[in-house]
Amino acid sequence: MSEGTPAGRRWLTGIVVANAPVSHGMRVIELELPEPVAFLPGQFAMLNLVGREALTFGRPFSILAAEGERVRFLYRIVGRGTALLATSGPGLRLSFFGPLGVPFPPPPADRPVLLLAGGVGLPPLQIWWERHGRSRDRAFFGGRDGADVPWSLIPEAWEVSVEKKDGLPAGREAFSGLVTELCRVRLAAGPSGPYVLYACGPMPMLRDAAALASEQGWPCLVSVEEHMGCGYGVCRGCAVPMAGGGHGLACQDGPVLDAARVDWERFDRSGGAT
Amino acid sequence: MPPWWSGDVGVPFRLGPRLLPGRVWTASGCFGYGLSGHDISSPEFGSPFAGLGVVVTKTLTPSPRPGNPMPRLVELPCGALNSIGLENVGLAAFLDETLPRLQELRVPIVVSLAATRPAEFGAMARELQETACNLENWHGVELNLSCPNVAEGGIDFGRDPDTVRACVEAARPHLPDRALLAKLTPNVARIAPLAAAARDGGADGVTAINTVVGLDVDLRTGRPVLPRRCGGYSGSAILPIALAKVDEIVREVGLPVVGVGGIATAADALKFFALGVVAVQVGTAQMSDPFAAARLAAALPPR
Repeated sequence: MSEGTPAGRRWLTGIVVANAPVSHGMRVIELELPEPVAFLPGQFAMLNLVGREALTFGRPFSILAAEGERVRFLYRIVGRGTALLATSGPGLRLSFFGPLGVPFPPPPADRPVLLLAGGVGLPPLQIWWERHGRSRDRAFFGGRDGADVPWSLIPEAWEVSVEKKDGLPAGREAFSGLVTELCRVRLAAGPSGPYVLYACGPMPMLRDAAALASEQGWPCLVSVEEHMGCGYGVCRGCAVPMAGGGHGLACQDGPVLDAARVDWERFDRSGGAT
Repeated sequence: MPPWWSGDVGVPFRLGPRLLPGRVWTASGCFGYGLSGHDISSPEFGSPFAGLGVVVTKTLTPSPRPGNPMPRLVELPCGALNSIGLENVGLAAFLDETLPRLQELRVPIVVSLAATRPAEFGAMARELQETACNLENWHGVELNLSCPNVAEGGIDFGRDPDTVRACVEAARPHLPDRALLAKLTPNVARIAPLAAAARDGGADGVTAINTVVGLDVDLRTGRPVLPRRCGGYSGSAILPIALAKVDEIVREVGLPVVGVGGIATAADALKFFALGVVAVQVGTAQMSDPFAAARLAAALPPR
């Protein structure tokens, strides 16, 4: 069972069955859970070590795939938690808490969808594409350089941009620049919309994607990255500033949020994950 | 189980005028208002509420508070530093919207209250009593006298025994048949005078301890990580501090103590019970694992 409506949030103990690089900077970890899980594109799970080794807080990861009891996550080593995850070899037990959060919705009938994925922001949109993508929808992935792109995970129809061309594998093509620049270039060449834009990636990319959609008057949904404590709304730690004051919680109100509702200036200043 | 243990954390026990449903609680601010988590399950437990004595609600203030600017929560190697800033819906919204749902779900609660003046504690306790006096699932009030993240009240407020006594005295008359606890700050040289003040004001017990003031520095910028510089440090690192403060209160004041601070496992809880606490609260551990308290309670079989 890999599709459908999730049955509820489950706390499970999984066993690592694979944990390997898929590019120069990204890795995929695969867990075997005691039961199948269903999730929607954009939902995440909190992973943690178990017992005495457990970190004070688990770490949120978007779900890349779930087939039966096997569930996979894409990650990059950015801190203590992901460094520990990278050393978690086959057989190690990890806690899994999910699926959590608000997903990306299915495509609207009246217009195509533009997908913008950056770095480890790939999973929600890759799985969305797999389940919902239509020929008129368009998708772009942005990586740091040619070696950083997890080519095996990028659907054929997608276009790729890299900030540096170093390490580009033979036979692969990539636009030189940011993914939002690639998107603008392709839109200028047509068809120019109207679209609805879905984006997942680092903060500057999301802000730029939101600006692009706003200029065009298109709806835009972004999946925000924030440091989280609990993942289920009780610690109030993953606050995202919202336009007009106040805030939402990345774990509970998001991670997928209407870009027009986010106060990007305050979010940027507060050090939203980059 | 150690040979001296002869308790049963699932049996109701008396605290002041009230029979409390069990001895393993979740700490204020660590399990929301008690509405979150009802749809979470695990192969081990049907619900995170299994075996749970009481949920102490997130602290409520007279008016809603948006909380502090981000970042608010920093993980450190043995705990977490938070500066949430008493974000809450306000007492009125809690009474109107949250309390009826808690009653429907039959969540046993102790309501945590914070204010900046003793008279406000009295007014909040009165309002709560007027609205909730018939609710069987409402067991008491915990006065948060020590939240370190609120500029206008906060830490200095709870460090003064006279103020602690005044706050308890203000609330007590409005709570004739509910347990009244004062949650104390550990950020003092000696905590016993605060507990004695709470006792003298009419508290049925004290909750000890709240978070320890801490600060972390971002080495990239050379500045404190939290916008308000200091925050409240919690998690496993503060367990020995909590034990020392609890011991001081038990030995010198003799008032019932609800122990809290770094408790994640049954072994942690047993250390507090060994010192004589009447109940324990699971805090930071409950945030990262919604089954932390349920698991702890299940690991303390009656004897």
